[in-house]
Amino acid sequence: MKKSKLRFLMLLPTFILILFVNLYPLARGGVISFQRLTVFNLNNPRFIGWSNYKTIIRDPDFLRILWNTFIWITLSVTFQFLLGLILALLLAKSFPGRGLYMGLVFYPWALSGFAIGLLWSWLLNGQFGIVNDILIRLGILKFPVGFLSDERFAMFSVILVNVWYGIPFFAIMLLAAIQSIPRELYEAAEIDGAGFWRRLFSITLPYIRPTIYNTILLRTIWVMNFPDIIYGMTRGGPAGTTNILAVHMINVVYYRNNFGLASALGMIIASIMTVFAVIYLALLERGEFEL
Amino acid sequence: MRKRRIFSVLRIIGLTVFLIIAIFPLIWIFLTSIKPSIEVYTFPVKYFPSKPTLEAYRYLFSFAKFNMYFKNSFLVATTSAAFSTLFSLMAGYILTREKFRLRAFLILLLFFVQMLPTYLIMIPQFTMFSKLKLTNTLTSVIIIYTSFGSAFGTIMARAFLKNLPRTIEEAALIDGCNRFQVLFKVIVPLLLPGVGSIFSFCFVNSWNEVFTAVLFLHTDRKMTVPVALYSFVSKAGIQWNVMAAGIVVALLPTILVFSLAQKYIVEGLTQGSLKA
Repeated sequence: MKKSKLRFLMLLPTFILILFVNLYPLARGGVISFQRLTVFNLNNPRFIGWSNYKTIIRDPDFLRILWNTFIWITLSVTFQFLLGLILALLLAKSFPGRGLYMGLVFYPWALSGFAIGLLWSWLLNGQFGIVNDILIRLGILKFPVGFLSDERFAMFSVILVNVWYGIPFFAIMLLAAIQSIPRELYEAAEIDGAGFWRRLFSITLPYIRPTIYNTILLRTIWVMNFPDIIYGMTRGGPAGTTNILAVHMINVVYYRNNFGLASALGMIIASIMTVFAVIYLALLERGEFEL
Repeated sequence: MRKRRIFSVLRIIGLTVFLIIAIFPLIWIFLTSIKPSIEVYTFPVKYFPSKPTLEAYRYLFSFAKFNMYFKNSFLVATTSAAFSTLFSLMAGYILTREKFRLRAFLILLLFFVQMLPTYLIMIPQFTMFSKLKLTNTLTSVIIIYTSFGSAFGTIMARAFLKNLPRTIEEAALIDGCNRFQVLFKVIVPLLLPGVGSIFSFCFVNSWNEVFTAVLFLHTDRKMTVPVALYSFVSKAGIQWNVMAAGIVVALLPTILVFSLAQKYIVEGLTQGSLKA
């Protein structure tokens, strides 16, 4: 067989799937966003122009959903990063049982976000939840708090769980980068009398900067696109206080069965995402990563 | 020296706190799942069940038909992971070893696909598959999961292959083997941990996916574990010990797979994304 033909055949399955399962639907999504399409007229959609987009922008809740999305992303990613970095630094020095420890502390990363959401909704339950129980026993609370049913706490609670879920990913990435730093750099610094903080800010952080950028960017996109945990915990409630774009879109699909409207929302999300993707590509161009 | 001791004490405290925070929720959901129904709803909370019982699991696997959902999930996850592994090894191998014009573009495409959220494209996918009369079949979700798995698997495969010296395959190439034969006769046997980790990663992802599955699989006989959990939430009045058992069943396979392949998954993942 000719060399180029074989090469083509070996690439084919992956890229044909990407074309038909990912790229074509993405383009179709753009078309659907201009249609009136529900479960009931699945086979004869009607073109309605910008109407779906107008509905979204006129929705009095839309601004709040955008704001929620922003808060959700910034707080989640910031704390996932900071705590992930601390964990990675703690793990940088080897100790007996380190492999087992890493297995235990990293496992949440492999779990289903939706199941995690359900699990935590039980832990944070306002009547029988163990978090309430512990806080009362410690004397921090006097009576149980509705972490997920009280509008003041709901967003804070879902973010907390998302941080819990995301720490391992950051820790894994940052740890891998930290371990690739040449030991001599630290040895030289130690001879010069550099303390912990000095070494952190002058060697570790500058050295792993590309990984930090890369991971934060990928996670920002991921967290923005991640309705699973919120869906398992609150479905966007109470009173829309935890409603982010991704959750809103799912609700429009499942409850209003309005595929056209949901697609328009999807296109809005996709265009926000494109901004991040462009930043990512620009960083690639600047040689922060190699291809 | 004293300062150093303070640091190591702080380290131990830090490591312990992270460990407790990571594993406590799981232990708690397991304890809830083996409680008798009456002890689930007590406050102050009863920490250990007075008489541990498998009542919730029994309900799950008999009345709630979780054995069927489990079988569906298992079939979907293994099939899509197997195809993904095969496809991504082939694509990853070509994209690592051969230089050709579209190479950089194809690699960027793989990263782009990672950024596309599943729920964003699930509607067009749904209309597409309904035209093909494939909605409400396990085949539909297998195809969709295989696509995602192949894209990410290719990135992982490239990470593993880059670390493998070319000299190993060169002899076989000189002997007249083509790329396909070299891949499966020479590379794959050497790369078994990598192959296993790609498979595990794809398995875990397919096992965990909810939203496409909920949209596509709506009859009882076709449901997967996440869809069943989803329908549990909608059904008011489900007991929390049964729910907890369902969550344990949903989480356990991924924990098992992860603990077996963790080291290699992490390796492929970090290398894959560091050296895009």
